[in-house]
Amino acid sequence: MSRRARFNPPAIAALAAAGFLLAAGILMARYEDRLYSDQQIKSVNEQAHILAASVAGAVAFDDAKAAQEFVQALTVNPQLLAAGVYDDAGRRIAGFTRGNNALPEVPEGNGEIEAGRIEVAYPVTQNGNRLGMVFVRAAAEPAGRRIARYAGLILLVTMGALVIVVLSVSQSALSRRAGQLAAVNRRLQAEMAERARTEEALRQAHKMEAVGQLSGGIAHDFNNLIMIVKGNLRLLRKRLDPAPGQPVPYIAAAEEALDRAAALTQRILAFSRRQPLTPVPVRLSVLIEGMGQLLKHSVGDTVEIETRLHAQWWVRCDVNQMENVILNLAINARDAMPNGGKLTIETRDVHLAEAPGDIADFTPGDYVALTLRDTGMGMDEETRLRAVDPFFTTKPLGKGTGLGLSMTFGFVRQSGGYLAIDSAPGKGTKVALYMPRTEETSG
Amino acid sequence: MGRHKGRDLRAAVKTSIACGLAVLAVLMPAGAQPSLENPVKAAYLSKFAPFIEWPAGAFATPTAPLVICVAGADPLGANLDRAVQGQKTGEHPLTVRRLAEPEAAADCHILYTADPLVAGAALEAAAARPVLTVTDSGLPVQGMISFVRVGNNLRFDIDEARAQEARLVISSKLLALARTVRRSPR
Repeated sequence: MSRRARFNPPAIAALAAAGFLLAAGILMARYEDRLYSDQQIKSVNEQAHILAASVAGAVAFDDAKAAQEFVQALTVNPQLLAAGVYDDAGRRIAGFTRGNNALPEVPEGNGEIEAGRIEVAYPVTQNGNRLGMVFVRAAAEPAGRRIARYAGLILLVTMGALVIVVLSVSQSALSRRAGQLAAVNRRLQAEMAERARTEEALRQAHKMEAVGQLSGGIAHDFNNLIMIVKGNLRLLRKRLDPAPGQPVPYIAAAEEALDRAAALTQRILAFSRRQPLTPVPVRLSVLIEGMGQLLKHSVGDTVEIETRLHAQWWVRCDVNQMENVILNLAINARDAMPNGGKLTIETRDVHLAEAPGDIADFTPGDYVALTLRDTGMGMDEETRLRAVDPFFTTKPLGKGTGLGLSMTFGFVRQSGGYLAIDSAPGKGTKVALYMPRTEETSG
Repeated sequence: MGRHKGRDLRAAVKTSIACGLAVLAVLMPAGAQPSLENPVKAAYLSKFAPFIEWPAGAFATPTAPLVICVAGADPLGANLDRAVQGQKTGEHPLTVRRLAEPEAAADCHILYTADPLVAGAALEAAAARPVLTVTDSGLPVQGMISFVRVGNNLRFDIDEARAQEARLVISSKLLALARTVRRSPR
């Protein structure tokens, strides 16, 4: 806006320069004109001087013919309008006129340009003796012709001034345009980056969806098969068991493995948002308060827990699964801080107008934010982006299933909430759950 | 008869007087002609000076008078005195001197003579002196400048060679006006 202000310094400077150029041109032209006029006057004076010197003898000895010859010689100069020779008695003895230029009775002239003519009277002397007078009248160059003579110069100067003005104006317009273009370009770049992030989030969401559907379907069928195997094992145990209470070792091992398989399928179902949930209204602050001892126990002595439970709003979720999720995230935090550290658990009521992080299909509204922040090793960007992928883990082989965050993600999404992970190497990790607010209460 | 003779004589006298008056009346304009020529000659004599350059030493002092001498019979009379009145060339006032003896011409700056009787002696005296000699035409000897009548105008011939011998320099402006100029052979 300020660029379009009325006072444009370069334009003003250019106008000033152009004005100065014009003024200088006019001054120069006037000076030249003055010089030329002076030269004209001088030239006429010289003519009169020469005539006076030439006719001295003719005037002294009253030789009109000789005087006329000298006067006649002047007619070759077209600028001269009239010339006359007068003797010491004031009688005119010779002269010529051009056009209707009458010679004066008394030779007088002030040697100045007056009414477009110059008149000069000059005494005829010989050795200090005044013998008579000569008179010369010449046409001064008319003002129009003089101006025409400087018209070229004036035109050039004016053109120069114009060029300066036009160049500076277009220059400032150009720089303004360049500034606008740069701003537009920056906005475009930002939009492109935003779009790339959104696309990436969408792609990730689609991937999760696909993987979830596939693994969910398999897990579901697999779970049914496990149930069949389990039922048959129970029947087998009844048949084979001679004394009830004495477990058959092979069957017990098989049943144990089946339990583990069932737990695994449960997790996969959780990730694929297919686990049976019984959501009820709950206040997360209260929930976490009740988990105090459990959390302390789980993270151990080396990790300090700080809770800031500000949230008052109610959310709707499966309480058991939510406790599982919080426990899971606390254990993840502990694993990220092998040498100890601090885990901060925070709840806040927030109104979100836009997605907190790379989230596709976000719905603005009121949310309760549950945040777990650790002071651990953090993750690089690649790891952070893949953190919720099922079976992706950075833990040593056999230590983790790679389903912890996947499950959390599935559960939060199935409950209508969002999961956002913020981390950088050495800066710790922040995991935030945004659960939609509900107007219901537990009564 | 006698009476008749007396009356005839008176008539004759009367007639002759009338005729004489008539002749006088006719002659008067003719007589005015020379009286116009002499003032012009006098004026010319006074105007030659500015066009002539005398050698150094011709004047005793820078303000010494320039002497115009008239040798012999003087036809100009008071005309010359009037023409010279108050005139100067450079710092030199013009004066007129009428010579009793033509030999005194050596001290003049301009010598004029119209008298055939003294002209030879006067020019002789002025010869080899820086004296501008002016004569009327028709004399047995000619000065450096001699007046001639051309139609109704008074002109002059110039003998530049003689002037150079006398170490006088005549301005080209004056030479340009002369009817004829005799130049020295180079």
